[in-house]
Amino acid sequence: MQPDVTGTTDHNSSTAHVQQTNHPLQRRPGELGFAIFLTLASVFLLYNAYGISGFRALSGAGSVPMATTLVMTITALIVTLRTARLGRIAGETLAKDILPVMVIAFIGLLIVFGLLLKPLGFVLTAALFLICAIKLLSRKGWVYTISIAFLSLVIIWVVFRVVFTVLLPAGILPEAEFIQFFRNLFAGGAS
Amino acid sequence: MDTVLAILTVFTQPQLLLLVALGTFAGIYIGAIPGLSVTMAVSILISFTFSWDVYPAISLMVGIYMGGVYGGSRTAILLNIPGSPSAIATAMDGYPMAQKGQAGQAIGVTTVMSFFGGLIGIVVLALAAPFVSAFALSFQPRDYMLLAILGILLVGSLSSGSLVKGIFAGAFGIAIGAVGRDPLTFAERFTFDLRLMEGGISFIAVMIGMFGVSEALQQLHNVDKRAVRQKIDKIIPSFSTIKTYLPLSLQTSSIGVIIGALPGTGGDIAALMAYDHAKRVTKNPEIPFGQGAMEGLVAPETANNAAVGGAFIPMMTLGIPGDAVTAIMIGALFIHGLNPGPMLMIDQPDMFWFIVGALLTANVFMLIFGLTGIKIFTKIVEMPRSIIIPLILLLSIVGAYAVNNAITDVYWMLGFGIFGYFMRHYGYPLGPVILGIILSRMLDDNWRRAIISEREDLGRFFEGILTSPLSLTLFVAVILIFVSQTPIWRAAKTRLLGKATS
Amino acid sequence: MSFKLMGAVMALGLSATIATAQDYPSKEIQGIIQWGAGGSTDTVMRSVTPHAEAALGGTVVMQNMTGAVGAIALNYVVDADADGYTLLMGAENPMIYKVMGLGEEDYSAFTPINLLARGTAMLVANNDAPFDDYAGMLAYIAANPGELKLGATGPGGLPSVITAMMNAVEGDLDVIAVPYDGDGPALTALQGGAIDVMPAVLGAAVEAIRAGSIKPILIFDTQTNATLPDVQIATDANAAYATYLPWGPFFGVFAKNGTPDDVIAKLTAAYATAAEHPDFVALMDSRGFTMMNISGAEADAFLTKWQQGTAWLLDDAGLTQASPTAFGIARPSN
Repeated sequence: MQPDVTGTTDHNSSTAHVQQTNHPLQRRPGELGFAIFLTLASVFLLYNAYGISGFRALSGAGSVPMATTLVMTITALIVTLRTARLGRIAGETLAKDILPVMVIAFIGLLIVFGLLLKPLGFVLTAALFLICAIKLLSRKGWVYTISIAFLSLVIIWVVFRVVFTVLLPAGILPEAEFIQFFRNLFAGGAS
Repeated sequence: MDTVLAILTVFTQPQLLLLVALGTFAGIYIGAIPGLSVTMAVSILISFTFSWDVYPAISLMVGIYMGGVYGGSRTAILLNIPGSPSAIATAMDGYPMAQKGQAGQAIGVTTVMSFFGGLIGIVVLALAAPFVSAFALSFQPRDYMLLAILGILLVGSLSSGSLVKGIFAGAFGIAIGAVGRDPLTFAERFTFDLRLMEGGISFIAVMIGMFGVSEALQQLHNVDKRAVRQKIDKIIPSFSTIKTYLPLSLQTSSIGVIIGALPGTGGDIAALMAYDHAKRVTKNPEIPFGQGAMEGLVAPETANNAAVGGAFIPMMTLGIPGDAVTAIMIGALFIHGLNPGPMLMIDQPDMFWFIVGALLTANVFMLIFGLTGIKIFTKIVEMPRSIIIPLILLLSIVGAYAVNNAITDVYWMLGFGIFGYFMRHYGYPLGPVILGIILSRMLDDNWRRAIISEREDLGRFFEGILTSPLSLTLFVAVILIFVSQTPIWRAAKTRLLGKATS
Repeated sequence: MSFKLMGAVMALGLSATIATAQDYPSKEIQGIIQWGAGGSTDTVMRSVTPHAEAALGGTVVMQNMTGAVGAIALNYVVDADADGYTLLMGAENPMIYKVMGLGEEDYSAFTPINLLARGTAMLVANNDAPFDDYAGMLAYIAANPGELKLGATGPGGLPSVITAMMNAVEGDLDVIAVPYDGDGPALTALQGGAIDVMPAVLGAAVEAIRAGSIKPILIFDTQTNATLPDVQIATDANAAYATYLPWGPFFGVFAKNGTPDDVIAKLTAAYATAAEHPDFVALMDSRGFTMMNISGAEADAFLTKWQQGTAWLLDDAGLTQASPTAFGIARPSN
């Protein structure tokens, strides 16, 4: 790294679009809470790492976990103290700049996806997700939404399930029978 | 003469040529889609090519491997989502270029440089395989451990914001890598007595979450903003551009070959180390690193493609896999009735030269396919965000599931995706987390092996480091890099030179 | 939570009505491979299954599911329906999960479709090791206590069993056990000199022995090995080894208990045919495995004997988390 550059250009490449608001001398809404959360979590993990093998041997299963969680605890504490000294950025709020309604809605959609994936099966869950998500974002008609969702789902399903034989949760659809039907059809046609 | 003939086998049979081409083409897309991996594709091909002859089967696999390693850069540049772990470093300067409308140019340079790196790797494989494999074998556990520490020091390069936050992220990554049953003692680590945590957390799932999901959530902030228009002239870089980066790419290709040849390390670590190297040696980049520096693209892409040739070195000379893909290929050779091992080169030299020839061909096809499909590819970025965001999220979910057919991985992926979103907003770099996970096992296992070998005696451990030339070199490198990153050094440098060199 | 449960029950009911045994296989079969792509188990399963598919007239989709020494894959198949559409393709490890505290299930929850082959264990040494045979190695250990670096792959792995066997027969050997995450990496380390001696499967070491990059020390078998006829066998070195041998890792295909009998019969027939295929037999020979191709009561008997011997050996060596008696594993009679 080039130490001379740090501090003058304080932004991450992957968050380039946040750079205008990510001012190093002020803290963003929720930043202090996040830092405190990380500190507490690190302390908890450090305690947990100590429980793996204690200080019994240098080669213990817990040695590296203990060392790494100790580093986490120390750095998280430094970050918390530094963040606490900064003033809040004027004009930014948690609801507007960190967690707008749309982000919360999508996090919700993803959680629902995770919960439904196993019982309902991949195809139905993904269809529901795509329709909801595209409708929410594009605010266009149902025909547009459903046709785009259907088309992309078919492509993804064929690539992953048929070509790469990834056994996505079938759920309530008799997916394997469906594939076998086509397989028999092709086998029958060939002979 | 026989050697030349064996290399040219691919060209004498149109069928083989076609299979290499097909493999390379498919590989580019497999590599580009996060969650579809070359490892997966090649292991499926084992069953698929079961009844084939060995040459056609290997042709297809080699093509997919070459194309796949390169393909990961596509999504890294266009969407900031690395298609495969070896393209993580590529996203750091590639994506900023795409945001300026230079995606075409970035892909052009990446393609040509990948070709160059691939070529170096193949040349080393062809000419120096026995020497490199002997060197790779001489790495002891303590050397792997030092190499891992050297890798962890890259945190400095990967965190352009606060270094403290970067260190936190790196340590967090190492802790994630330790979750699950310890493979050496079977002790449970960070499992909280939950059965679903025993298998550990899939590194690919974390990567897809942190880069894919958190990027998609981030993009929700600017759904209505128009996508950047991509300039698609100047795709093929000029000769002078290539010449400028030639010295750098030679260095990073060498890093790639060596890291690729070491059993247990692959293109992902090679690319990150090469990125760090580029940052170190490039005193005055035209554009700063992290904002679209060409060097930041050239280094990782030459290194990860050079690592392909490197990975074949221990496989062909010793029957030891250089990475996960070559491990499966060894299995494939077994199934096709060959005995990969130290005798393969002696008993069947044709096989070795055939693979060299197939790799060379795949490399050329990679260049051709890479430079021709760019216009269509860049259209992806110009698609409306209202479609692309849901698709990225869906692909992330399928991809995380596909890694190990486990729904648990989907939960981890989503969890880390949401967590990563907050990390982005509060200025914690994500790169070090992934770096930490990649290096966690390498550091932990080898530290324990090294200290167990010395009967838990730190004195004997350091004696071992100081008496082995290889260990000593690595140790000195660790010390130098560490010192150069600390504030004391910076202060001393400022005093000595009078002013900072920025 | 209750909603999830409801969905699961609904899904179960639906799939149960669809699966009937008469037209088995009416859809593709999942083969869950316990170990990673490129490993021994993976290679064996991927080379035998295509022949079985041909005999069965169906498709077997093989998936690698790794983690927790194979327990993740085993639990996945235990949790699936017993309809013959989810098969476990595994190695010997699950037989000691219970005593090692790695899980509550083992192959007793499964019906063996076919135990394909068995491997032979052997000791190999780095070329620079200051001894060339087993007696020399024992003498070296006695003269240099705590200096010999012996490769290991974690408690319950093949090296730990062989080491326990050696300790039982020769008295406690003072060596350093350096753990690796598999015999592949350990054999690499052996060639590089990071360890001196490694207990490994013959098939994994044989190519390096032929090339002269490592040297064979002892084969853990009761009969001279056809692949390496010049290497000393354990019972010749010390007759006391006869108590524990023959012993070796094995590979098998398993279906969950409760799978309809005619489905088991169809699968057994298919894999028995596949295991006789000359290509497969040639492959197993070249990798130094001994073909078994057994099923039914014969396979059950093999599994029981294997589990008794290994579990008690590990228990006597103090490596287990729980006594075999706790799981009704009887001490072997001879």
